[in-house]
Amino acid sequence: MSETTRLLRDVYAVDPRVGLAGVATIAVEGGAIASLAWRDGAAAAAARWRDGAQPLADDPGLLLLPALVDLHAHFRQPGATASEDAASGSRAAAHGGYGTVCLMANTEPAIDRPERLAAAIALQGSVAGGSPAVRLLPIAAATVDRGGSVVAPLARLAAAGAVAFSDDGSPIADRAVFLEALLAAAGAGRPLIEHCEVPELSAGGEAADGLVATRLGLRPWRAVAEVEAVERAIGALREAVAQHPAARLHLTHLSTAAGIDLVRRARTEGLPVSCDVTPHHIALTDRWLAGDRHWSWEVDDGDPLAVDDGSAYATSLRVCPPLRSASDAAACRAALRDGTAVAIATDHAPHSRERKEVEFGLAANGIAGIETSLSVALAAHAAGEISLARLAAALTTGPADLLGLAEIVPGFAVGAPADLVLVDRTAAWVPGRDTLAGRSINTPLVGRLLPGVVRLTLHGGAVAWEG
Amino acid sequence: MVAASRHLLDVDGLGWADLRWRLAVAAHMRAIRDAAPGGIGALRGERVATLFYEASTRTRISFELAASALGAAVIPFSVGASSVGKGESLVDTVRTLGALGSTAIVVRHERAGAPWRAAAHFPGSVLNAGDGWHAHPTQALLDLAVLVRAIPAADGSLAGRRIAIVGDLLHSRVVRSNLHTLIAAGAEVRLAGPAPLVEGFAHYADALGRAGARSSDEPRGRALLCGGIEEALEGADAAMALRIQRERLDGLALGSAEEYRRAWGLTEERIAARAAPDCVVLHPGPMNEGVEIDPEVADGPRSLVLDQVAEGVPTRMASLWLALRGLDAALPELPR
Repeated sequence: MSETTRLLRDVYAVDPRVGLAGVATIAVEGGAIASLAWRDGAAAAAARWRDGAQPLADDPGLLLLPALVDLHAHFRQPGATASEDAASGSRAAAHGGYGTVCLMANTEPAIDRPERLAAAIALQGSVAGGSPAVRLLPIAAATVDRGGSVVAPLARLAAAGAVAFSDDGSPIADRAVFLEALLAAAGAGRPLIEHCEVPELSAGGEAADGLVATRLGLRPWRAVAEVEAVERAIGALREAVAQHPAARLHLTHLSTAAGIDLVRRARTEGLPVSCDVTPHHIALTDRWLAGDRHWSWEVDDGDPLAVDDGSAYATSLRVCPPLRSASDAAACRAALRDGTAVAIATDHAPHSRERKEVEFGLAANGIAGIETSLSVALAAHAAGEISLARLAAALTTGPADLLGLAEIVPGFAVGAPADLVLVDRTAAWVPGRDTLAGRSINTPLVGRLLPGVVRLTLHGGAVAWEG
Repeated sequence: MVAASRHLLDVDGLGWADLRWRLAVAAHMRAIRDAAPGGIGALRGERVATLFYEASTRTRISFELAASALGAAVIPFSVGASSVGKGESLVDTVRTLGALGSTAIVVRHERAGAPWRAAAHFPGSVLNAGDGWHAHPTQALLDLAVLVRAIPAADGSLAGRRIAIVGDLLHSRVVRSNLHTLIAAGAEVRLAGPAPLVEGFAHYADALGRAGARSSDEPRGRALLCGGIEEALEGADAAMALRIQRERLDGLALGSAEEYRRAWGLTEERIAARAAPDCVVLHPGPMNEGVEIDPEVADGPRSLVLDQVAEGVPTRMASLWLALRGLDAALPELPR
């Protein structure tokens, strides 16, 4: 890929690294930012950032952000490349505005030892034709075979390039093992990312416990299964920090108001814990299972028991943790606003048609979300749910800083590598087989008009996506 | 809306006017059956496949009898002996049945929503014969037919009637479908069961009660979750016991069948003490006599259990007819 030369004139630029927002003109030359001019000066841009980076009345509509960072994605390679691979996933990511993607370890085989990590990195590079369009960062398993009983060699995995550790999809149930993993991760200087679920409490769950599940006869995935896991994880962290000051815990895809509140309180207490939320838990509710298609924040005075026979039981909505109530979704957005959630992470989980075109309760869990997450975030912003400043941070500096990799989001500075995304907020698009770049289109947003079209994604000064 | 569709997926959207028409069609089918025990040819040329992923006796047999009573060919599909046993998916099976010329499929499946998946891939009619915990439309329709005959209000509905439903609500598709039809018929449904087996139903009953009637001249009942079987039976005009699966007793504080009977069993003593004097009794079957219902009740003068079974064939004749011919088609003439 060759480095590009561009002039981005009068775009609304939001730089969460330096903390600036305003209309700017930026020249990219030879892959780096060559010049940068804020229309009304850097001081005004800094003040505007502090006010939440609200766009101006004469906003040109073109929004420039640092290329996005996804903390949580599944590209299915090695193992399930019928659903996705490094090349298709990278194209999808670039289309979504992402320049960096962290890949979870639950491939086949799991990335639980340095040899597998090296092999996966080599395989992903070769499939993508030398160098993927975006930066792929491996997250290694925390335990051997993600089995939850023996901690993996985390120091060696970190040395081989793992940016974090997680058994995502399989919570670590054993407290002693969890504590040991927290300490080993701390020793390796990396965070432990936990999927919070007590399996005995969620067992067989198909939908969030609530009116919709009762109504549709779906097995309840109880909120307490997440809340109790959050409580246990924070308890173990409290013990871990007493033994190792570098211990850090990150809880991924939290979905319950009560679980998020536990994280908020622990942070107030000073514990090094954070969480992320997904675009679907922000914007969708369990009522989508009955065919409702309102965003979670839209006032809806419709019949809470209504079922649309044409779209009920859509398996694109089967996801773990499940979609929850409007108040849980509101709690996810509140977490982004107050910083309890440091990132919007997609949990991009592509699945082939065969794994989704089945009975709801037999469908694979997961939503392919990396191409629509920026649009969903912009829809939430347009509804007044989240400021552009918080949105930008949660999609860039938040996840990068969590990983201790501030340098992958360098901010807009002359001489810095051009890792940028330019999105047209005034344009709209419709996800579908023809418009999505990923291999699988298992998203409930297929066919829906979404705001925000990514015009340009630059990674390392090269064009990763142009549309 | 389901009411206008070629399928019978659930009964949720049906108001009292829709239900009354379905009952009338079923009554007509009963008359046809009495007049022509050998059947008629009204659905000749139709091919009805019965696709049962779960065991069933009365539902399957009554659907097959209903199809043949109207002259339709029956394709009994045995899941165990078919390609399903080799891992063929529901969608592939349904497409295959469509390609082979089935015009209707009757689906019983252990997963909620399976008939919706089938309907999306089948060119003909899909009739839900029970999906997981979710719905059992023809059971609710036949229960309604039995109840409006036994305990009608002055206008022929169930307005003002109290109906107790007791037992394992959580896993019951029968209670979920009956809630819709009984409330639409104007009844007050009084629910009760052991705490772990009524999860979510307090909230659900409340929400159902607050939903309005489809039009102002239709009755609209309500539902409530009671604290025990005695409270549910208070003034009841009808009582329905739900089957308790023995393996689920293990998860309850009530470890044995005898303990379950003591706490939740439908006994003559309880009915006599609390219910209306002429309270009738229903059970969707198969029954655990001596557990959720006493034999003297199940086989006694209050029992409508055999009426329920007998109502199965005409109800399913009506459901097949309405799905395949539409709601507005002239009914087949009574044979002379």
